Amino acid sequence: MNDANVKAKENTVKSCWSCKGPVAVAALFCPTCEAVQAPAPVNHFERLGIDVTYDVNTGAIDRLYFDLQRQLHPDRFATKAPKEKALSQQQATALNDAYEVLKDPLKRADYLVHLLGIDVLPEGCNLVKDQAILIEAMEMREKLMMVDSMKAITEIQRETKAEIDDVLCALSLAFAGDDIRGACQLTTRLKYLDKMMGEVRQSRARLLA
Amino acid sequence: MAYSKELIDHYENPRNVGSMEDESGDVGTGLVGAPACGDVMKLQIKVSADGIIEDAKFKTFGCGSAIASSSLVTEWVKGKTIDEAGEIKNTDIAEELALPPVKIHCSVLAEDAIKAAIEDYKGKTGDADESKDAAE
Repeated sequence: MNDANVKAKENTVKSCWSCKGPVAVAALFCPTCEAVQAPAPVNHFERLGIDVTYDVNTGAIDRLYFDLQRQLHPDRFATKAPKEKALSQQQATALNDAYEVLKDPLKRADYLVHLLGIDVLPEGCNLVKDQAILIEAMEMREKLMMVDSMKAITEIQRETKAEIDDVLCALSLAFAGDDIRGACQLTTRLKYLDKMMGEVRQSRARLLA
Repeated sequence: MAYSKELIDHYENPRNVGSMEDESGDVGTGLVGAPACGDVMKLQIKVSADGIIEDAKFKTFGCGSAIASSSLVTEWVKGKTIDEAGEIKNTDIAEELALPPVKIHCSVLAEDAIKAAIEDYKGKTGDADESKDAAE
C-alpha cells in the first residue's frame, strides 16, 4: 500500500510525524512505519494523481478516488492511535473535496480558472459586469416566469441544456488554448445556466404540485 | 434562520417591481449580478430635469435577501437627488434589513445596482465624469 500516488512529488521529502523517517510529501503512508500522514499541500488534481487539465477522464477519476478512499477507510484505523484516526479523517476529507470538485464540470472549471491565476471570485462575492451574460440571464428567467405549461417548460429545459453543452465545449477549447479570460467568462455563464436549470426544475415541480 | 420583520415584509410585498423604458433619456438602468449565487438584479431610476429621482423600479431574480435589498433601495431613492442616492451604502441596507452575515453580499449587490443605474443615467446626460469612481 505504499503508494501509488507519489508520482508528482516523490522528490519532495519530509520526515514522518511518527517514526521521523523520510516520507514523500504527497504520500498517504510512511514507507517505514506505515503511519498515515497529514494531507499534502497539493491541488485537487495532484491529490488524485492526474494531470492539471479541464478534459479529465471521469472514469479514471472514479477509479483513483475509490482506490484512495479504500486505503483511508475508517475501519482500517479503528485500532490505531487517536492521532492516526484524526489524520486519516483529514486525508479522507481532502480527498472528498478533490473528488467533488473534479467530477463536476462547473466546479472543475471554477477551480481551474482560479488555479491558473485569475481571481474570478474575490471574497466569494463577485459582481459581474459582463452585461451580455446578465442580459441573457435576466431574459431566460423572465421567460421562465411567464410559462404555464409543462410543454413550454420542457422546451426551455431543452434550450438551456443545449446552451450548457455549448458552453462546456467552448470551455474545453478555451482551457486547451490557454485562453483563461475566455474560460473565466464561460465559467460565469455556466454558473448562470446551472442556476437556470435549477429554476427550471423548481418550476416543473411547482406546476406538478 | 430568523429573518427580520422588515426583510420578510419586503420579500413578501416587494415595492416597485417592474421595468421602465430603458431607451428613454431620463431613465438610468443598472444591471448587476453575483454569479456565486446566480443572482441577477436590474434597478432603474427615472430622473427629473432638476436631478431628483421621481420613480424607481427593480426586477431581481435571486434569494429573498436580494429581493428585499433591491426593494428597499427603490423605496429609499425615490425623492432623493442622484447624488444623495449615490451615497447609499450596503451597510445601511444590511442594517435596515438585519441581514445575516452570509447575506451581506445581497446588500452589496443592491448598492452596486443603484450606482450602476446612476452612472448609466449620467452617461446618457453627458455628466459621467463626476461620480464615475464613486463605487470604489
